[in-house]
Amino acid sequence: MRKERAELRQKHLQGGLKAESLIDKSVLRASAADKEIDILPDAVVVSIGGASIMDRGAPAILPLVDEIARLRKRHDLVIGVSGGARTRHVFKIALDLGLPTGGLAHLAGASEEQNMKMLQALLAKHGGIQMTKDHFWDLPHKLASGMIPIMIGMPPYHYWEQPPRRGRLPMNGSDFGLFVFAESIGARRLVYLKDQDGQHEADPKRVPGAKLLRRVSARDLLRLPDEDLIVERMLLETMLCARHVREIVVTNGLKPGALTKALSGRTTGTVIYAPKEAGR
Amino acid sequence: MKTSPIVRILPDVHVLKFGGQSVMDRGRAAVYPLIEEFVRLKRRHRMILCAGGGTRARHAYDIALGLGLPTGVLAALGEAPPRQNARMLQMLLAKHGGVYIMPDDFDKLPLYLAMGCLPIMSGMPPYDYWEKPPMGARIPANRTDSGTYLTAEFLGAKSLTYIKDVDGLYTADPKKDRKAKLIPRISVSELIALDLGDLALERVVLENMLHARHMTSLRIVNGLKAGSVARALDGKDVGTLIYRD
Repeated sequence: MRKERAELRQKHLQGGLKAESLIDKSVLRASAADKEIDILPDAVVVSIGGASIMDRGAPAILPLVDEIARLRKRHDLVIGVSGGARTRHVFKIALDLGLPTGGLAHLAGASEEQNMKMLQALLAKHGGIQMTKDHFWDLPHKLASGMIPIMIGMPPYHYWEQPPRRGRLPMNGSDFGLFVFAESIGARRLVYLKDQDGQHEADPKRVPGAKLLRRVSARDLLRLPDEDLIVERMLLETMLCARHVREIVVTNGLKPGALTKALSGRTTGTVIYAPKEAGR
Repeated sequence: MKTSPIVRILPDVHVLKFGGQSVMDRGRAAVYPLIEEFVRLKRRHRMILCAGGGTRARHAYDIALGLGLPTGVLAALGEAPPRQNARMLQMLLAKHGGVYIMPDDFDKLPLYLAMGCLPIMSGMPPYDYWEKPPMGARIPANRTDSGTYLTAEFLGAKSLTYIKDVDGLYTADPKKDRKAKLIPRISVSELIALDLGDLALERVVLENMLHARHMTSLRIVNGLKAGSVARALDGKDVGTLIYRD
C-alpha cells in the first residue's frame, strides 16, 4: 500500500508537466487535442444587445421577454446582456478623467448589471435569476430546475484587462465575454440579438443598401473595418481558436420570432462560422 | 474629444512576482532569505507581491488535459496554487505587515500601503472560465506572469520585477542547455524576433508590453542570489532587463 502510494505520488507530481516549461512551444503544442469535453452541451446562450435592444425600452424588450419565456420550455437558455448607452457614457467620463483601460473594464459591469436586473425582474415569474461569476458551478442546478440564468456579458478581466492595440477602450467586451463563456461550457448554440437583421457587407446605417450576409466565415469578416462589424473583433479572433462554439448566429431581436427561428436552426439572420482549418 | 493623459494609480509602488516552481517550490532554503530581504526592503520601498503557482498548477493542468477539459476550466484550476502560495507568504510575512488580498480588495491597496503593510496576492488574473482558448494549445496563455504584468500596468507601478531561479533570460533553457547565454538587456521586439522555443516569461507579457501605456520595462532576477531583488528595486543593473524601444 505504501509502495503503491509512493508510486502514485511519483507519477503525479514528478511525471507529466512537472519538469516541463509551460512556455516551451513543444509542450504547448503537445497540449492541443482534437477532442475536449462539452461541459453543458445542451445549453443555449442568447445575448441581448444593450444599445440595440435594452436602450429601446419596453417596445423592444417586452415582446422578447415573452418569446424567451416560451422558448425556455424547449431549450436550456442562458441569457447574457450588454450595457449600451450607460456603458458608453461612463467610458466617456472615465476617458476624460484619464483612467487606464483596466479601470474602464471594471466600470462597465455596473451598467450591464442594471440591464441584468431589469431582465431578471421581467423574467422572474418564468424562472429568471441573476447569475454572477461566482455561481458558475451552479449552472447545472439552475438549468435542471428550469431556471433562466441571466448574466452580464463583460468578461471578469477588470483591472487585468490587456492593454488595447489601438485607443483606450477594452478590447474584451460583452460580445467576446459571452462567446468565451459559451465556449467554456461547450454550449450547443450561441445567438446574438441586435437591431439589424445580421451582418451586412458594410454597416447599413452607414452604407444604405448594403447586402445582408447569410453565411460568412470569421476570417473573412476580420478583413472588414471595425465600424462595419456587428460583433466585436475580439470575438471573431477568438472564434478562430475555438474548439466548441464553431458558429454563432446574429439576428434581429426587434423582429418577433427571429430568436425562435435561430434556435431551430433556420435563422433569418447571419451565421458566422470558424473556417475548418482554424484553431484546434 | 481631446484625450487626457492616463493617470498612474499607484506610481510609487514596486510590483514583484514571486516565482512558484522556481522559488516557492524549493521551500525554506529559497523562501526564507527572500522573506528577510523583503523585510529590509520594506523600510525603503512600497511593494506588492504576486505569487506564482508552480508544481501543483502543472499537476492539475496535466490531469485536466488528460480528461479533455477545456482551457477555461484549466484557467479556473490554475487559480488555486498561486492562492495557496500567496497565503503561505502572508503567514510568513504577517508579523512584518504582510496582508493577503484578493482581486476584490484591489481598491484597498492604498490603505494597506499607507499603513506600512505589504500586500500579497495571487499572480493569476481573475479570468477563470473566460480565458481565451489559445491557438494550437490548451494551456491558458494568461497565467501568473501575465496577471502580475497587468497588475503593474494598471497601477502604473514604479517597477516590475520577476523573481525566478535563473540569473535572467537566456538564449535557451540554462537548466537543459549548458551553452545557453545570459541576455542582460533586450528589447521586446528583438526578443519576439528571436522566436525562442522556450522563454523565462509567458509570451503574452511581451505582446502586452508592445501596447502598454505605463509598464514598458521589466526585470527578471535570480531570487536565489542574495541582494538581487534589492538591486532591481534600486534600479541597478541585475538579471535581464526587457524594455520597449
